[in-house]
Amino acid sequence: MRILTAVLRTIRNSPKLAIGLAILLVMVLVAIFSPLIVKGIGGSTDPLELAAYERWLVPGPDHLLGTDQFGRDVLAMVVSALSVSLQIGAIAGLISTVVGVIVAFVAGYKGGWIDGVLSTFTGILLVIPTFPLLIALSAYAKNVSLFQVGVMISIFSWPFAAKTIRAQVLSLRSRPYVDLARVSKARDLEIIATELLPNLLPFIGVGFASSALGAIFGLVGLEVIGLGPGGVIDLGQIIFNAINTGALTLGAWPMFVVPIVLLTLLFAALNMVNIGLEEVYNPRLRGVAGE
Amino acid sequence: MTAEAPPAEVVDKVPEPAPPSGVRAWMSRHPLAAYAVRRFGLYLVELWGALTIAFFFFRLMPGDPIQTLIQSLQQNYIYNQQASAEIIARYRAEFGLDGNIFSQYLVYMKKLILHGDLGPSLISYPTPAQDVILRSLPWTIGLLGISAVLAWILGVVFGAIAGWRRGKLGSRIMTNLSIALSHVPFFFVALILVYVFAYTLGWLPARSAYDSNINPGFSLDFIASLLKYGLLPGLSIVVIGTFSWILSTRMLMVPVLGEDYLVYAEAKGLKPWRILTRYALRNCYLPQITAFGISLGFIFNGNVLVEQLFNYPGLGTTLVTAIQQLDFNTIMGVTDIAIFSVLTAVLLLDLLLPLLDPRVKYWK
Repeated sequence: MRILTAVLRTIRNSPKLAIGLAILLVMVLVAIFSPLIVKGIGGSTDPLELAAYERWLVPGPDHLLGTDQFGRDVLAMVVSALSVSLQIGAIAGLISTVVGVIVAFVAGYKGGWIDGVLSTFTGILLVIPTFPLLIALSAYAKNVSLFQVGVMISIFSWPFAAKTIRAQVLSLRSRPYVDLARVSKARDLEIIATELLPNLLPFIGVGFASSALGAIFGLVGLEVIGLGPGGVIDLGQIIFNAINTGALTLGAWPMFVVPIVLLTLLFAALNMVNIGLEEVYNPRLRGVAGE
Repeated sequence: MTAEAPPAEVVDKVPEPAPPSGVRAWMSRHPLAAYAVRRFGLYLVELWGALTIAFFFFRLMPGDPIQTLIQSLQQNYIYNQQASAEIIARYRAEFGLDGNIFSQYLVYMKKLILHGDLGPSLISYPTPAQDVILRSLPWTIGLLGISAVLAWILGVVFGAIAGWRRGKLGSRIMTNLSIALSHVPFFFVALILVYVFAYTLGWLPARSAYDSNINPGFSLDFIASLLKYGLLPGLSIVVIGTFSWILSTRMLMVPVLGEDYLVYAEAKGLKPWRILTRYALRNCYLPQITAFGISLGFIFNGNVLVEQLFNYPGLGTTLVTAIQQLDFNTIMGVTDIAIFSVLTAVLLLDLLLPLLDPRVKYWK
């Protein structure tokens, strides 16, 4: 209960955080209820079925965003693709945050040569262009599940989380209360769980938000050039179809514009949450990042 | 417990200043050179590590490039029988795919380091992969290099001004715009630019690197055509890059503005412009040089997509073509070149920094 009121107070004090969370909430709700929405759009027919309607219908009362090259309802496709994109973000964000946190704690808390090896490895992954590796990986991934795509993308996004959190662990490690815990013979895991982790939660939140964002846009990037893993229809796939089929010349602009607007909104929302969280927990930034 | 012999580690801790050996003495006499040597050693370790990661990453992925090659030959009716074991074995040897993975690794690294040889490419067999890559490299260096540097310069200048005039309306608009746009992926802007300028307005071309009616050469027409075709892809990198540099420069600038020496400079009666350029900006652009090196890998990632979207004949497009055909040697070659360039750029910037900033002391 106390945590809840603290969270509410934090949100009330930061308009950026509040707006960002509100947009996210709406999107998540749409994603959760996407099967129902799709059903509502289609009525008796499945609007995602190939040749469910006529091809290339222009936007109108029956099909608010028109239909695509296979006669699928674009609105229904966008709704379900949004859900896919969000799931990818959630899965990949979660995995890379967990891996990043573990690496950061082991490296930052243990120090010594373990830190040296882990930090060098993280540094290499951070600096080298990993996108070729990701493209190559997805070229082999035919008909993979959503979860596998998430795992694939998180391979390359955990170093970002690891780096930020390690720096925080390093600065927290030498705080007096950690020394106190150590003197009172607390075990390493105990110190990490009870002393360090709670203080790092905002940074872990920031790490999660940016990894999720990176993952969603990583996949969209792959899809936009037509190299995404097969069998996953996210927002990028719709953009790719729009470009590839020349949808713009056929008057089917929503196929191109709507996914981009949605992604921009999503991006802005997650970014606002990020900056909001950073400002809340690092008051020095308030004058710097904001107005 | 009774008092016994002291524990071993206490004995070890007795300070024993070792007489400075030749190497150490030299290092303390030439700190900058020692730093350069150490930094170069780290560079070699990083380079080796990254190349090794890339090698095993690609080799451990499922997929048999020789089977793909045979299949593509069969599809093109160049070779319309089942490939005999001999031919497959010959191709395997030529592509460096015989033996177990460790001997493959040794052969690959030896050829790469000693001869700069990446093995034959598949997309334009039998041209070596390094030739395919060298053909596209200038395009990427031109597009990426110019846009990245331009974005950095614009970002640092505007970021410094935004920090300097903080609180003013213009600065606030710029800052909030940067917050909103600084992490937008490059390809996103590329898509929008293509939609607006190439598709809706029809002002600028959206594909290729130059007008195919003009012969490549050192002529005014060709250069004009290069600029015209490079404008949109370049712009998509510059726009986003500039915003993110504005944001980070401003974050470095604002704390500097509170420093005492700026108050002192103002009290001395120096002109604001002089304070900004000589006192405040100098403290901001130096960390940004290091950041520039680190950001290069990220920029390259975005560049792959931008090139592909604009069909620009650079490394990114080569990479995508190679991946579509499972051309291992070229894929690895592009990755290796990218790794090498980014790490080398970071190294050079790091070595340059002590010369630019007299306060930087890496040696201990």
